[in-house]
Amino acid sequence: MKKIVVFLLSVMMVATLVTGCGKNDASKDETGNEQSEGADAKSDEGKSDEGKKTLTVTTWDNDTTPQFQATIDAFETAHPDVNVEVIDTSADEYNNKLTVMLAAESKDPDVIFVKDMGSLLSMASKKQLLGLDDYIAKDNVDLSVYSGAAEQLQVDGKSYSLPYRSDWYVLYYNKDLFDKAGVPYPSNDMTWAEYEELARKMTSGEGSEKVYGTHNHTWQALVTNWAIQDGKNTVVAKDYSFLKPYYEQAVRMQKDGIIQDYATLKTANIHYSSVFKNQQCAMMPMGTWFIPTMMQSQATGETNFNWGFATIPHPEGVKAGATVGALTPIAIGANTDVPDLAWEFVKFATSEENAKTLAKNGVLTGIQTEESLDIIASADNFPTECKDALKYTNYVFDRPLDENIDEIRTVLDEEHDLIMIGECTIDEGIKEIQERVAEIKGY
Amino acid sequence: MTSKQKRKVKNNLVGYSFVLPNLIGYSIFILLPVIFSFVLSVMEWDGSRNPMVFVGLDNFKHLLEDSTFRISFVNTIKYAVFTVPITVVAALLLAVLLNTKIKGISFFRTAFFFPYIASLVAVGAVWNMLFQPDYGPINNFLRFIGIANPPRWVVSTKWAMAAVIIVSIWKYMGYYMVVYLAALQGISPTLYEAASIDGANGWKKLRYITIPLLTPTTFFVMIMLTIQCFKVFDLIYVMTGGGPGRSTNVLVNFIYDSAFVKFKFGYASAAAVVLFAIVLVVTLIQFRGEKKFVKYM
Repeated sequence: MKKIVVFLLSVMMVATLVTGCGKNDASKDETGNEQSEGADAKSDEGKSDEGKKTLTVTTWDNDTTPQFQATIDAFETAHPDVNVEVIDTSADEYNNKLTVMLAAESKDPDVIFVKDMGSLLSMASKKQLLGLDDYIAKDNVDLSVYSGAAEQLQVDGKSYSLPYRSDWYVLYYNKDLFDKAGVPYPSNDMTWAEYEELARKMTSGEGSEKVYGTHNHTWQALVTNWAIQDGKNTVVAKDYSFLKPYYEQAVRMQKDGIIQDYATLKTANIHYSSVFKNQQCAMMPMGTWFIPTMMQSQATGETNFNWGFATIPHPEGVKAGATVGALTPIAIGANTDVPDLAWEFVKFATSEENAKTLAKNGVLTGIQTEESLDIIASADNFPTECKDALKYTNYVFDRPLDENIDEIRTVLDEEHDLIMIGECTIDEGIKEIQERVAEIKGY
Repeated sequence: MTSKQKRKVKNNLVGYSFVLPNLIGYSIFILLPVIFSFVLSVMEWDGSRNPMVFVGLDNFKHLLEDSTFRISFVNTIKYAVFTVPITVVAALLLAVLLNTKIKGISFFRTAFFFPYIASLVAVGAVWNMLFQPDYGPINNFLRFIGIANPPRWVVSTKWAMAAVIIVSIWKYMGYYMVVYLAALQGISPTLYEAASIDGANGWKKLRYITIPLLTPTTFFVMIMLTIQCFKVFDLIYVMTGGGPGRSTNVLVNFIYDSAFVKFKFGYASAAAVVLFAIVLVVTLIQFRGEKKFVKYM
């Protein structure tokens, strides 16, 4: 008797579970496409009491740079009936958080700023992004203004995103420190050897007074990027010996105290912006995304010194002005409840009109024209005479569009760690990179 | 059906209805995901709407060839082998010391329990500063007492695991100390009195009364600690992130990385199944040992 009751009860429990799940699944499937708009119109009204439409946008480090907020403000001004809700995450955690949000297949986020090409590729292959080709065709969007960048973002010939920002590496410097030392500012045509020489000259002081000639943040990109600057190799390779001279330079500069100790930066979790802002380094190779950060910091009075930037140094035998960079694409979540509004935002954010707004804030966009450069150069707190440093002669992507790129970057990060803290020699590190990448790629 | 049987059925139904709400929660949030991850371990899936593909035991085969998995496996064992015994001994000694009636005893008990309730992220960040190789207080002290080349702790492949183990012991011994304290209250004072009359000193009382009578607690503490050690993740994530290189990468780290960085959910589940198997085997061995070493009064 008891057994039968137990059996019946368990059947009941299982039945509740199954039907419970079943219902959820069914409703999820139905809201996939057609029903979503009806259902969402309702939820939209529910979202805000003034009857405004809500658009959710994901950003990273939104409070330290105007790169996203400027667009969001401009969009809200142009569309007074829309309220843009920002989901902000720290840059380090951004991709993880996005992964979790997208895996939940919820309606939000509607608009996604994509942090790197690797995550664009993975989100597109997981069908988490809305295809934009129909919208592009419908609104006759001219992709030629991006001078090829839009095509480079395509995955299997389909557009899932448009180029929002374009960033590349430049060499920042602290003019006050150079003036004090009586050394001429870095030029737009320096080899990496000349740069090291200059950094050596600019290193001074002891203890807490010490000023480092230059600053290498803990990213492996700040060594490996210069190795791929000539365009002959990428960070996905069979033979990594091309990294060797650049690691030799980084390790030598660290040993000689021209750059801050890697282990210290890593354990104390020191952000590069604080090092430059606190005038602890005379130079710093960093991406152009740091320009608006510095402009904002000068405007708010957080910092008060003269700064500038030059084009990034180049390897021997490579033409001056060769740089390494990356695009920041903007995309739409596949499960958005307001696809048309999201497209409106994407179109707005990547328009020539908005490029000018962003230029005023020192942000470089996917659309590069002489006009936008002029706008940037005349913006408040921009070091005007550095306008020429924004021009480049050759541009290579910092990482190739490769399906294993995130895994390979983990390998590069880990071995970079070991080389820079001196736990293995450069040769051992490079050998290890080679073996582990071969394991991933099946070479 | 007799009335007796009917009453029994009714009683059972009432009982089950009490259990049901919790069981539903347990099934949805724990049991089903666990079963799902077993299923996933023989599949290939990227966590999206793309279909799962059955791959048989391929995931497990790849695990054997994966150097990162091997390293994580060894690191996890290393972490457990050092953390478990040291924490048990430290917790036991603390409990014995703090089981006396002196003034301010509750202050000391709180002080040792405090690390357990402190936020792990804060703990990790502060210990990282203490372990800083060049100007951190720990190395400054070591240099002061005459060690010319103190370990470089979290930035050294040899010492990073030791640093993590030290912090783990410091953080968790307080909790197990409380468990031991509770058990110590249960030991009858008459035993100690009798031993005193027989002329036993403090050490002998500890060796022949306290430790044997605490063995059931020690058994419990060891099982809990072992399981906890095998699933360690948070502290390592905060302190070293698995570095330098892969020197503190542990299994849960590997699982997280495979699932949420590389989007290989099948592969990650296979690693989780391996972890489950290890914990199961270790726990079974401990239960075997229970008969030999646990003494009940």
